Amino acid sequence: MMRLAWTMLLIGFLLAGTVGAESKLEQFFVQHCVKCHGSEKQNGEVRLDKPVGTLFADQELLETIATVLEAGEMPPEEAPQPNAEAVAEIMQLLQKQLLAHRPVNPLKRLTRAEYTNTIRDLFGVDFDFTGLLPPDHVEHGFDKFGEAHLMSPHQVMAYLKTARFIAERVLPDVKPKTRTWEFDVRHFHGSKNFATGGGGDYRDGDDYVLTGFRPYRSNLHFSIDPESHDQFVIPAFGVYRLDVQAHSEKSDEGEVIGINLGDGRHPTSFRSIRRIPMPHGSQGFTTELTLQAGDQLAFTFDSARVPGRSLEKKPHKGPAMRFSHLKVTGPLTEQWPTAAMQAILPQPNMKPGELVDHITLLLTQRPLAVQDRRAFVEIARTQKKSGASMTATARSVLIALLTSPHFIYKSESPELTDVQRSYRLSYFLWNSAPDAELLSAARSGALGKDPSAQVERMLNDVKVGRFIDDFTRQWLQRDKVDDFGPDVRVFKNVRRMTVDSMGREGRELFRHMLEKGLSMEHFIDSDYVMANDRLARFYGLQAVEGDDFVPVKLPEESERGGLVAQAGFLKLTSTDFATSPIHRGSWILKNLYNERIEPPADVLINEPDIRGTTTVREAILKHQQLESCSRCHSKIDPLGFALEYYDPVGRKRDEYRYVEELPAVQEGTTFTKKLKFTNVPIDAAMKLPGGREVRDMITLKAALMADKQHIVKGIIGKLISYAHGREVTRADRPHVDAVFESIAEEDFSLRAAIHAIVSHPAFGRK
Amino acid sequence: MKRRTLLKGAGVALLLPCMESLGQVADGDSPRRLLTIVNHLSFYQPELIPQTDGAFKKAPPLLDELSDHFDHLKIFSGMDNPAVQNGFGHTPCVGILSGYFNKLHRKNRLSIDQAVADLIGGDTRFKSLVFQAGENLNFSQIAWDKHGLPVKQIDSPRKIFNLLFQVDENEKTQQQVLAEDRSILDAVLAQAKSMEKRLNATDRVKMNEYLTSVREVEQTVKRRAYWADRSKPQVDYELEDFDRKSVDDYVGTLLDLAVLALQTDSTRAVTVQIPFWEGFKEPDLSGNYHDLSHHGQKPEKIQKLLMLEHAILKRINNSLSTMKQRTVGNSSLFDQTTTLLTASMGSANSHNFDDLPALVFDARMKTAGHWQKTDVPMSNLYLGLLQQFGAEQDSFGESTGAFEVLS
Repeated sequence: MMRLAWTMLLIGFLLAGTVGAESKLEQFFVQHCVKCHGSEKQNGEVRLDKPVGTLFADQELLETIATVLEAGEMPPEEAPQPNAEAVAEIMQLLQKQLLAHRPVNPLKRLTRAEYTNTIRDLFGVDFDFTGLLPPDHVEHGFDKFGEAHLMSPHQVMAYLKTARFIAERVLPDVKPKTRTWEFDVRHFHGSKNFATGGGGDYRDGDDYVLTGFRPYRSNLHFSIDPESHDQFVIPAFGVYRLDVQAHSEKSDEGEVIGINLGDGRHPTSFRSIRRIPMPHGSQGFTTELTLQAGDQLAFTFDSARVPGRSLEKKPHKGPAMRFSHLKVTGPLTEQWPTAAMQAILPQPNMKPGELVDHITLLLTQRPLAVQDRRAFVEIARTQKKSGASMTATARSVLIALLTSPHFIYKSESPELTDVQRSYRLSYFLWNSAPDAELLSAARSGALGKDPSAQVERMLNDVKVGRFIDDFTRQWLQRDKVDDFGPDVRVFKNVRRMTVDSMGREGRELFRHMLEKGLSMEHFIDSDYVMANDRLARFYGLQAVEGDDFVPVKLPEESERGGLVAQAGFLKLTSTDFATSPIHRGSWILKNLYNERIEPPADVLINEPDIRGTTTVREAILKHQQLESCSRCHSKIDPLGFALEYYDPVGRKRDEYRYVEELPAVQEGTTFTKKLKFTNVPIDAAMKLPGGREVRDMITLKAALMADKQHIVKGIIGKLISYAHGREVTRADRPHVDAVFESIAEEDFSLRAAIHAIVSHPAFGRK
Repeated sequence: MKRRTLLKGAGVALLLPCMESLGQVADGDSPRRLLTIVNHLSFYQPELIPQTDGAFKKAPPLLDELSDHFDHLKIFSGMDNPAVQNGFGHTPCVGILSGYFNKLHRKNRLSIDQAVADLIGGDTRFKSLVFQAGENLNFSQIAWDKHGLPVKQIDSPRKIFNLLFQVDENEKTQQQVLAEDRSILDAVLAQAKSMEKRLNATDRVKMNEYLTSVREVEQTVKRRAYWADRSKPQVDYELEDFDRKSVDDYVGTLLDLAVLALQTDSTRAVTVQIPFWEGFKEPDLSGNYHDLSHHGQKPEKIQKLLMLEHAILKRINNSLSTMKQRTVGNSSLFDQTTTLLTASMGSANSHNFDDLPALVFDARMKTAGHWQKTDVPMSNLYLGLLQQFGAEQDSFGESTGAFEVLS
């Protein structure tokens, strides 16, 4: 009875508290907001004249309200402003409400990359499931979000097929026979025209000379015998050794050979699988590749000519690659039975139950629930009864387990168990399942007490490269660097290889900072850049040798350094002819500030009529005048325009060069299009919302540096978001702030930030 | 005339599968089929939609490309999709055939092509086939099953061709594999059910998607087991080398395969999405299709855009003509097929998801012509179509009524 009374009293207090808060919020909204967000007007499709209880249920709306209030974006300038105390009080109420609800973090499944790495680590086989598993949805920049992981019959079918593919290859019935094939000039073909060779490639004595590269086509192919045009096809899955005799000519630097898969006649399957640096003067190389039955090999080289005009008129003078001999040996088997076979089937005879338990533990390190186990044991039993071999039985069990939710889903409790925490950590820093040492640290409780030793070990392991690659690819959108152009008629001398290097720069900067424990300030500005031979030349820096990235000290006058001065960023935000200030500005807001910007739902972008405008600036400013656009564009546009002194491939320019295509002129069988260039002066100066003017790279970087706290927190947010597999919201502020505080003493070291993210209690919550 | 403008398939050797155990097709009662074509980047409507309602008197230039089939064509214009939110770039295009899009819930609703396939797809090797090019998950998925889950869209003409016509060399082992598949699906289903019980509400929703998917796959596996013993049709069609650049090569190949799939009764519902992310190029045209679609009302850009749109419609016109020439059973393929041609957006210049056009070709069409609509959901057309295929329901998606499609 007593207890009940106390409870009642307590509830009474709580209610009173809430009611007080509610009426304050309601008052505030009535006073300052509902004029434009109420029954008469619903600007931005937002209505705040609803009961506070209803508003509280909408986390996303609360988040938006808090954001615009905090930034002073609302109420708009021209409206009467609430005093600072009132705003602070309301902010506190909102923040309390936001913190009370931890963002939902729905069940996640393995992404394609996670699945691939997990299988590779389990079986020691370099599998590639690109064609088997569908790519993953990207939500707010990352593919790791459970919210976006849609399951479908197609996806389940893909899991089943992939599992069978794996099982048949790690548990073969007989030892694959190793064979050798040899090819010389008589077998080599270019890809444009299979019979005659194409694209300026030709036979010369004992060599086949490659000069060009065609997108979606691989260049050098091998036919099965000299008379036939049928391509050499890999007969079975396995590891193959390639011994290649080749050398470059008309070039005084090293070369990179690209090995691709693809049928020269149906080139849509073109896929790059390996890049092999060849130092200058090298006479060939040897490499081992994991290939699949049906794969067709082809070679390109990186400084190849981008496809252009007819070669008959202008013979190719640039670098060429001479191929004289190729030997393929495979599939290679190091030992028999293989390590994977021994791991899956340690004893020649196992009872169905034993087999299921053993494979389950091998795959997931945790047993199946008793009631779940039955159906899998039944599979083994049926197989055995039908007289199937032990290997065949193990295959069936393996396929079933690899398709099961037990393997595919990363289940997490509200408070993560030690083992679940080790999985989160491992999929964060290795993009793969935890190894035995991490698991035993988790089980002993050591990981829960102090993860720093494990984090340090993981950051020093070669597998951290997967995190660096995957995180920066998604965060910086590095894979988009080659999506558009450049148009070779305008941007001469920007070779494929340079573009490729641009795409790697962001990753290499991250790697360098992580390895050396450098300050996250370097994302904004630094006195060095990471560059390889081609990028150093492109930036006009001191020469670097080779394809590997090294830190290069910048001369005093250089504007490079920091992510916004990277050619990769400047290029991926441009189209084939033109820069896009909006794209650049919103990239900075989204990826450095971790701001959420999306076109408002109620704004129909009415047919933009840009006939009356001549420059990008005019076109953009024209639509910035609309009230509904200006809230975001007043932030986006100045950031983007300040970068207008950098062209679509990231080179410095002094004026715009507008490109116009003139109507095609027919010359014989080819159409030639003439380009017309018009030069227009650049006007890049604009004021940021706070009133600070930015007008070029230098002033932009100074402005970003002044905003360091926001940007460092933004990037911490990105890392947390990637690790947790959900969007970071205001409810994560304590986590972000704690990381920020703790690394402030260590010069904002990126490495320290990762330690701090993992050791914070929030890392152990769903 | 280019090599594939005419199908070589005048001599299609048909080995139509027997359907003794899978429902009966009564003699003389030809099956109904649906061909759905969606152009992602829409059309430049001022050159497509007639100024006036009713019969086509003076057809605008784009529409004129389809003049061979005016007798059987109804055009509806100005429709909208009230449950498709604007403002997310191309993403809402996923809702064109379902009339629904919500960015926060990636699940969609049943799309019209799949709704029809559910009605007519029981007796064929494939319930439906969806063709498209390239993978871009954020906006290319247009076919959704009855659970709102994405239906596999096949992205390569080579894969489509093999699926339809290539003889599987491992047929003997196939039944074994399928039997094994079934026992595996049983096991994972049981595990998912038991796991579901241990999850919280949000996670349970996720696990439920898995459960539903596994059940659907079980159905597919059953269907495969039935068809594995029956030979595939043989066709005299060479899938030639193509560089997926010109409209004729690319759209042409997909449409050819669509017609062949219907003609061989491999399926009765084919959906073809004409993409842009592969970037068509015509010999005398430069510029990227997507870029041209953002023409900003510049006449020279519109001019180039129209070249591509003319080429696309010309190719569709050819395929419809081909369907008239092909006889399947007692009537032509065209007689048996309803063709729906629509666009994911009203205008790709502004990314709007209203003012949508739809063209319906049907040999049974009583009155041909154009009907301008205002404030009418696309789903009304879909419901009308669905009823033509024998559905008894009186609503579909956001429908507020049903069009008289064939009147």
